[in-house]
Amino acid sequence: MIEQIIFIVISLFTLMMGWIVVSNNNLFHAALALMASFLGVAGLYVMLDAGFLAMAQLLVYIGAISILIIFAIMLTRRMMQTEESPFNSQPGLAGITAVSVFAVIAFIFWQMREFWPLGAGEGAMPPADKSIILGSVAKLGEYFVSPDAFVLPFEVASVMLLAALIGSIWVAWPKTEDES
Amino acid sequence: MEFQVPTINILLIAPAAIVAGWGVLLMLIELFISDEAQEQWRQIVPGLALVGLALAFIQTVGLWGYDGGTFILADGHPMIVVDNFATFLNIIFLLTGALTIFISVDFLRRTGLERPEFYMLMLFSISGMMLMGMANDLILVFLALELLSIPLYIMSGLAWPRTDSEESAMKYFLLGAFSSGFLVYGIALTYGATGTTQLPGVMAGIANGGSLALAGAALLLVGFAFKVAAVPFHMWTPDVYQGAPTAVTAFMSVGAKVGGFAAMLRILIIALPGLGDVWAPALAVLSALTLIVGNVVALVQPNIKRMLAYSSIAHAGYILIAVASAPASPDGVSAALFYMFAYLFSNMGAFAVVIAIERKTNEGVMLDDYKGLAKRHLGLALAMAFFMLSLTGVPPTGGFSGKFFVFKAAIEANLIWLTIVGVITSAISGYYYLRVVYTMFMQDGDGEVAAPEALKWTVGFAVLVTAVLGFIPGPWFDIARQAALQGMQMVAGG
Repeated sequence: MIEQIIFIVISLFTLMMGWIVVSNNNLFHAALALMASFLGVAGLYVMLDAGFLAMAQLLVYIGAISILIIFAIMLTRRMMQTEESPFNSQPGLAGITAVSVFAVIAFIFWQMREFWPLGAGEGAMPPADKSIILGSVAKLGEYFVSPDAFVLPFEVASVMLLAALIGSIWVAWPKTEDES
Repeated sequence: MEFQVPTINILLIAPAAIVAGWGVLLMLIELFISDEAQEQWRQIVPGLALVGLALAFIQTVGLWGYDGGTFILADGHPMIVVDNFATFLNIIFLLTGALTIFISVDFLRRTGLERPEFYMLMLFSISGMMLMGMANDLILVFLALELLSIPLYIMSGLAWPRTDSEESAMKYFLLGAFSSGFLVYGIALTYGATGTTQLPGVMAGIANGGSLALAGAALLLVGFAFKVAAVPFHMWTPDVYQGAPTAVTAFMSVGAKVGGFAAMLRILIIALPGLGDVWAPALAVLSALTLIVGNVVALVQPNIKRMLAYSSIAHAGYILIAVASAPASPDGVSAALFYMFAYLFSNMGAFAVVIAIERKTNEGVMLDDYKGLAKRHLGLALAMAFFMLSLTGVPPTGGFSGKFFVFKAAIEANLIWLTIVGVITSAISGYYYLRVVYTMFMQDGDGEVAAPEALKWTVGFAVLVTAVLGFIPGPWFDIARQAALQGMQMVAGG
């Protein structure tokens, strides 16, 4: 029960910070709220026994990506100064869409309540291999390089990241005269 | 730990691995090219990229008839499936890449966009497309989709700092990321409903998945509908196709679309046949919307690239007819495969002519620029007319054969209303396709045409294949049928 309450508190914190991210006029404050929101997500991972994921979230999202965003904002003078409204002309329509999507998904999960917690009901839904979920990092590493597990997605991801890396350099590199 | 023999058959993954590895290799070689040699390097990179595609092509064709998988998981299901379905699609992707290189070399040089990285990124994208057709696991499908898309985002921004190219890249990137979000959500819900991301496992568990499985399947469909530009998920297409450099537009109008359909077909047929009663009618409605919006909005486009963008939306609609009839008709999948093969050549050919007329980046792409093309360059004008007839679906062209098989499959599946929509919209499409022909032959105009040998050969090749597919479609359809059958057999065999 106490776990439930902590989970709900962390979720609400994450959502609230997310709301600040999208509604705040000041981009810098929004970036800080984003960090807090990431922290909340890391807390959720801890609650779900995904310790490794929580650490990765802390290191990568809070440690690297948020800092990068903040640097980008600080180095872009005009972004720091403007205080524009973050809403475009269709907040009502977007709100209706968001609420209805939420309603549909909530309805679906409510319909599936006989299976709560997942894997408890009869029929399908076997819980995935607990040894992976429970955050044994060694197991995770082994799965990433085993030919009978996830070595191929791992390799494909590396090629994908290479393409993204090259692309971002290519886009950011100043063009030489003959090309402009 | 005991040593186990790896469960990998490297020859099966070779077609995609060669393409991706070749891209990496070229990139490594470029490191050692001195500044003085850069000019020569630029000259030979397209050729080298073609060599890579040719090697992969040889390996792919050698795998025709093979039915098996590799990267066998602990539970016995392969991560990668190599069957005729995958091989057929791989051939489409490799041909798309090769034709794109042939039509883009001179274009990129002339517009000052030539960078060796263009070809390497294209190789990466092609390897992603190939994995889309072979993937047997939703995680791999997602990664392959990203590998396909990310180079395309970059390539459509090739002509920066031109604003239209930047707009194209930005819109494609944002909406692409958005659609990936849908796809991942769909994968997550499917995993929640079935406890696995393996396609055969999903098939086994989907029946007990309840509404969670339905939601997962729906979100998966939305993700793919974005990629193949089906209405109402088509909003990005016109702006992206119009703004991107034409060579990139040609590449993605075929490659990305067929890639999306490759994964869509495999997931629907292999993992979700149990939900066929649900997704087939949904796709039928989607298809009708796509046909109507694509063809009707194309009527009023004065920009030929934008017109072809709406035309490509419409063609996604025709392929969707075939997909929607797949559960009830034995020839649904093969009709889709044949249609995509025919579409590849008609569309690539049309874009080759657009590239020949385009003088600078995005100049000379209006319909008015085609005035009097018949007097300036009769060969190209005739070829363009032929491609337009094929895209309309007039016999004897590949486009007609494709539509014939699609409608036949739809009638077998008892989708009479959808067939009627398809036929009526085809008639509507005749207006805007034939307007190009009218402009070329009946009106006067001038302007230069840039048709180097490579482009002429490509156009000639595309005309030849389109004609062959039109005159003798039977043997080709049999090949498509062999390619599709194995996909269906997997369903029966579990």
